[in-house]
Amino acid sequence: MPQVKIIAKNFMDMVASMPAMKLDKLYDNGFICEAILRSMPPLGKKYVLQMLYIDVPVTSKSMEEWVFPDGFSKHKISIDRLVQLRVFTETFDKKKEKSYKINPVFQRNLQKLLVRGGNLPREPMPSNIVRLPSLEDLEIYALQQWECFLLQLISSNQAERPTNISSSLMKVFQRGLMSYRDKEAPKLTESGFQFLLMDTNAQLWYIIREYISNSEERGVDASDLISFLLELSFHVTGEAYNINTLTDFQGSVIKDLADLGLVKVQQGRKESWFIPTKLATNLSASMTESSSRKEGFVVVETNFRMYAYSSSRLHCEILRLFASIEYTLPNLIVGAITKESSYNAFENGITAEQIISFLQQNAHPRVAERIPSVPENVNDQIRLWEADLNRVEMTPSYYYDEFPSRDVYEGACDLAREYNGLLWENDKKMHMVVTAEVHSEMEKVWKGSIPHPQQRNVAYWGNGNLIFVFIIV
Amino acid sequence: MASGPSKLYADDVSLLVVLLDTNPFFWSTFSLQFSEFLSHVLAFLNSILLLNQLNQIVVIATGCSSCSYIYDSSSDSNPGSEFGNMPRLYSNLLQKLEEFVARDEQLLKAGKQGAIASSLLSGSLSMALCYIQRVFRSGPLHPQPRILCIQGSPDGPEQYVAIMNAIFSAQRSTVPIDSCYIGSNNSAFLQQASYITGGIYYRPPQLDGLFQYLSTVFATDLYSRAFLRLPKSVGVDFRASCFCHKQTIDMGYVCSVCLSIFCEPHKKCSTCGSVFGQAQLDVASEASRKRMASDTKWCSGSNDKIGTGIVEVCVKSACRSVVGCFTGFLGM
Repeated sequence: MPQVKIIAKNFMDMVASMPAMKLDKLYDNGFICEAILRSMPPLGKKYVLQMLYIDVPVTSKSMEEWVFPDGFSKHKISIDRLVQLRVFTETFDKKKEKSYKINPVFQRNLQKLLVRGGNLPREPMPSNIVRLPSLEDLEIYALQQWECFLLQLISSNQAERPTNISSSLMKVFQRGLMSYRDKEAPKLTESGFQFLLMDTNAQLWYIIREYISNSEERGVDASDLISFLLELSFHVTGEAYNINTLTDFQGSVIKDLADLGLVKVQQGRKESWFIPTKLATNLSASMTESSSRKEGFVVVETNFRMYAYSSSRLHCEILRLFASIEYTLPNLIVGAITKESSYNAFENGITAEQIISFLQQNAHPRVAERIPSVPENVNDQIRLWEADLNRVEMTPSYYYDEFPSRDVYEGACDLAREYNGLLWENDKKMHMVVTAEVHSEMEKVWKGSIPHPQQRNVAYWGNGNLIFVFIIV
Repeated sequence: MASGPSKLYADDVSLLVVLLDTNPFFWSTFSLQFSEFLSHVLAFLNSILLLNQLNQIVVIATGCSSCSYIYDSSSDSNPGSEFGNMPRLYSNLLQKLEEFVARDEQLLKAGKQGAIASSLLSGSLSMALCYIQRVFRSGPLHPQPRILCIQGSPDGPEQYVAIMNAIFSAQRSTVPIDSCYIGSNNSAFLQQASYITGGIYYRPPQLDGLFQYLSTVFATDLYSRAFLRLPKSVGVDFRASCFCHKQTIDMGYVCSVCLSIFCEPHKKCSTCGSVFGQAQLDVASEASRKRMASDTKWCSGSNDKIGTGIVEVCVKSACRSVVGCFTGFLGM
């Protein structure tokens, strides 16, 4: 099975991998401190709070006494994470004892947050100037925008109204997801297919990460971008903020984010403003799957027919990855999961596990209550179809021939059987095949370093030839 | 209602209901200023909200004749923004607190003139549990609730029954009650509350570092409690209050039918109305004899069988062993 790595966990990992200088600079912003604090494992958060007003280093030995022995691994993980993010700094005293101290900048900012509260650099605009969309409208807008972007990402000609994302930026996002061959229409790669089956938040993380890692090429400082994104996530969903309060750099970022559906930009008579959507405010959250769960739309029946209550072109495209679509009605997509359609998916690098988890995650509320939400026979069949493709297994092995006598041949056969490694034998021609591990064991016997288990006299000085045997499972 | 905590939320998302003691009788005589105390508690509340954006806080003020919700972070639309030069959490809470204290004072004046030194803990505990039940019933997605009592005034023995009922209902719905007791002597009620519900009882030895104690001990979410060494209670005062004179006693008389506690023998139980001293033989019908039989208790001292009667027992809630029986009363 090919190993495809699309890790879209969260960008705290990305923050953690930044150089120390830049990290320290990030902590000048109180909101980043808060976002970092919230991203930590529970014990880590607790330790930061505990150490917040302690100015002297605390030895690691005395910290270990805070936990029970069975919580020690969690303690270790938390401390490592804190050190990795440079929230805690390690110091060694004269006796070479390790102790930890909280990062002074981080500490000062958190203390300030506790006492005075967070202070956004801009105030929401009064509601008499702007007319605000309702929260539902905003969420619908955000998802539409996001889907439109995805559709354009996978097939640029299909989007109904192209977004304003520059083609060069689009290329950046497509890197890794699409493959371009000369004079051929761009094709989705394996990771591209897997990307489409992820949930919205995971996709968003992936895109944002690409956006940030590309920022240096566009001449933008990554830490500025990260701090602006994190700051944005602390704005209130559905409130309007004046664009004039942004710097030029932030203004250009906002335009890109509007195309992704993270903010909605509106133009008034004199001023323009942006309204953060849920996608933006979820950015810094330590997101669990459930907090981002949306209502599903797919019903799979035991006869492999699939009904998807959706009008979205994107959903149709995603379903097409592993099912054959028969017809689409204004609010319904009807299709079937067939052997051919799933083979098609497997060829593109999608696994049965991914198909099933997509169907489960997007199950229509009526069937989502049932356990299992995808019928068991469909579930099993998809897995069986996948297993069908993996019927051949390759085993490195050795081929023996030209035995000096039948006696030696039989001795060698018995020996191989003894080790449970005889793959094939031909008594007539005195040929045999053994697995590679057994060959090295047998070699020791030939060379006399280990006596033959049945005290047979074997003297075979050949080496055997390395071959590969394909076994049909 | 046994509501199984759902695992859909992240492990450390918590709903913290804080019961704040605002009893003026206590604070007027206490070494720590109320304002100073508040500044510690407010910073603590803010730190809980800081830890996770799904965390929720409810503050209930416990006065001496009333109690009231004074802050709820879920209805506070914009906790992060600033109002004047204070975070909105602080200004909202302080304003409500002021209103509450004024109302509480008026109620106290209107009521009878008795020097009540204790706060209405039973009332605020019940309010907290009601709030938590509402959260439980709101759907499968809810944070893990816990209650924190920050109490200073001494126990009011007259609230014994109500408080014990609240404790048992908290135990049934698996809501731990943490207690931070800042008064001079230990509080038997809160010790029992934390012991029975699996919460933490702690009396900070130094009050000028109250925030450090609060954040070290009481900020621990329920998930992390399995791994952290937290203060354990040493010696819990299990004494009960009698139903007749509301006195704290450790030996008393218990009705064998409804287990009401009295400090002196009575002829008739004031709670359930059973008449003591009725000979079992007088009972005619078969059915009621059966009922009697189930009420029969055994004296742990002399192993005598006791019918419907009043028995002297050790009334500590953990013990309840019968130490003497009044056979004379029973006419046996």
